[in-house]
Amino acid sequence: MFGYYPVFLREMMLFRRRFLRLGYFFSAMFAPLLYLLAFGLGLGHRISIAGGSYLDFLLPGLIAMSSMNNSYTWIATSLTVGRLHFRTFQVFIQSPVSPCAIVLGEVLAGMVRGLFASSMILLVGLFLGSGLYFMPLFIPALLLNCFLFASLGVLSGLRAKSHEDTATFSNFFILPMAFFGGTFFPIEELPRWLQFVIRILPLAHTNKLMRAKCMGPDCLLSLAVLVIFAVIFFVISVYLVRTYSE
Amino acid sequence: MDRRQWTAFYLSAPPRLPLASVFGHMINIDHITKIYGAISALDSLTLVIKQGEVFGLLGPNGAGKTTTIKILTTLSKPTGGRAAIGGHDVEKEPLAVKNIIGVAPQEINLDKELTAEQNLRVYGMLHRLDNLGRNIKDILELAGLSERSNHMVRDFSGGMQRRLLIARALLTKPNVLFLDEPTVGLDPQVRRQIWDLVRNLKENGTTVFLTTHYIEEAEALCTRVGILSRGRLIALGTPRELKGEVGGFVLEYQENGNTRYMLCRSREEAHSLSQSKKGPIIIRESNLEDVFIKLTGERIGPAE
Repeated sequence: MFGYYPVFLREMMLFRRRFLRLGYFFSAMFAPLLYLLAFGLGLGHRISIAGGSYLDFLLPGLIAMSSMNNSYTWIATSLTVGRLHFRTFQVFIQSPVSPCAIVLGEVLAGMVRGLFASSMILLVGLFLGSGLYFMPLFIPALLLNCFLFASLGVLSGLRAKSHEDTATFSNFFILPMAFFGGTFFPIEELPRWLQFVIRILPLAHTNKLMRAKCMGPDCLLSLAVLVIFAVIFFVISVYLVRTYSE
Repeated sequence: MDRRQWTAFYLSAPPRLPLASVFGHMINIDHITKIYGAISALDSLTLVIKQGEVFGLLGPNGAGKTTTIKILTTLSKPTGGRAAIGGHDVEKEPLAVKNIIGVAPQEINLDKELTAEQNLRVYGMLHRLDNLGRNIKDILELAGLSERSNHMVRDFSGGMQRRLLIARALLTKPNVLFLDEPTVGLDPQVRRQIWDLVRNLKENGTTVFLTTHYIEEAEALCTRVGILSRGRLIALGTPRELKGEVGGFVLEYQENGNTRYMLCRSREEAHSLSQSKKGPIIIRESNLEDVFIKLTGERIGPAE
């Protein structure tokens, strides 16, 4: 099980290397900051949601969204390219480490990315004057969200037949979820049938938990949904590594 | 590379060999078959390799050499048959197999954005190696890359990358080393260095399994070679045995603008046959390429 550490360490070494190139850092942070500035500043003063300012509503949503995007994209891309192009992933398969350790190492690396991006957004949001209240479930929901989408990243990185596959998956699944999952407006504004669809997907639950003022029974349900998704994605990923064969 | 250095390095290796394999066979391949879709990459390959052998698998591109290595190194699961390394079944005890092997694949799968030292450190930790810093220093010195240890691999020449790749595979002092086309695309000088390295490993008792389509490489290094063609093993033996089977000498002559080959038992026989040929002739000792041509009617080497 402790074999997870070198897997994690390698991703961190690569992350640091990219991070040192500032251009990369700015392009990765650009989209969420753009949303924050455009919607937060543009709509922020005209609209109020649930008694608070729009910026206060938007900030947790953007944090959930960018933690999802970054946890997922980095690992999905890294695994797809490492497996199909550079063939560095094969080194793990040929090393005496358990499949579970390989997946755990990659997931933790994805979480670090997700948490890093979230904290950047958080800092900018606070700077713009959002009075973010740390809700009781903010941190657990954020961690679960990162874990869940990093696991999904491992899963799709192992299944993708090409680099385009992960981008397609991201466009058809991750992006719509970001827009409809309660990031920019409460999902109660949506038609009933769409609400139903959205409630099956994990991001809506993360958003709900991160904004929840206290722990009610429906919060426990949302937590359970996130845990179930996380376990399913993680277990499938471990299975894919275990049965890996070229 | 200094032989004494190698010996010192290897004497410090902990004995990790399973006892059964010390006296028996290091690699056991038993009717391995691999089918991709409708294509049969390996067709009931059976092969036994003893400890300390330098075994060369020869064949043209697409013959199934890399597939064989992938199956033995747990990267690919066979469609049928069984294989074991050091007495451990590659499918049932993959972790035990991974503990005693080192692999240098055909494509250089180092992390090019990391330094040489970082690449080795991650690899060593994956193998839970003790004294990692010391081992990395030693192996970098042996590979002649000490000064480059903190340079990004991206900036290395092709030969240096290949050396680092093999050094990485040797970091854990494996009992069995797999080298897939170790010298492809390298200049003659680097190729010689890698040959020396394999010879040193042989003296230290490491079992080496290599694939190549360079005839002279197989002749220079291998104690035994197997010739693979379209997934089937069509010849097996020492280079001398195989050449002896087809005749020890070759007469090359020109006919209608094409070079023709004629295999002969002796130099005298080649001489007498050459009397009837017009134009330039060459009489030489046979090589493994002749064996391959004789068996398949094709050439092994890359198309020219």
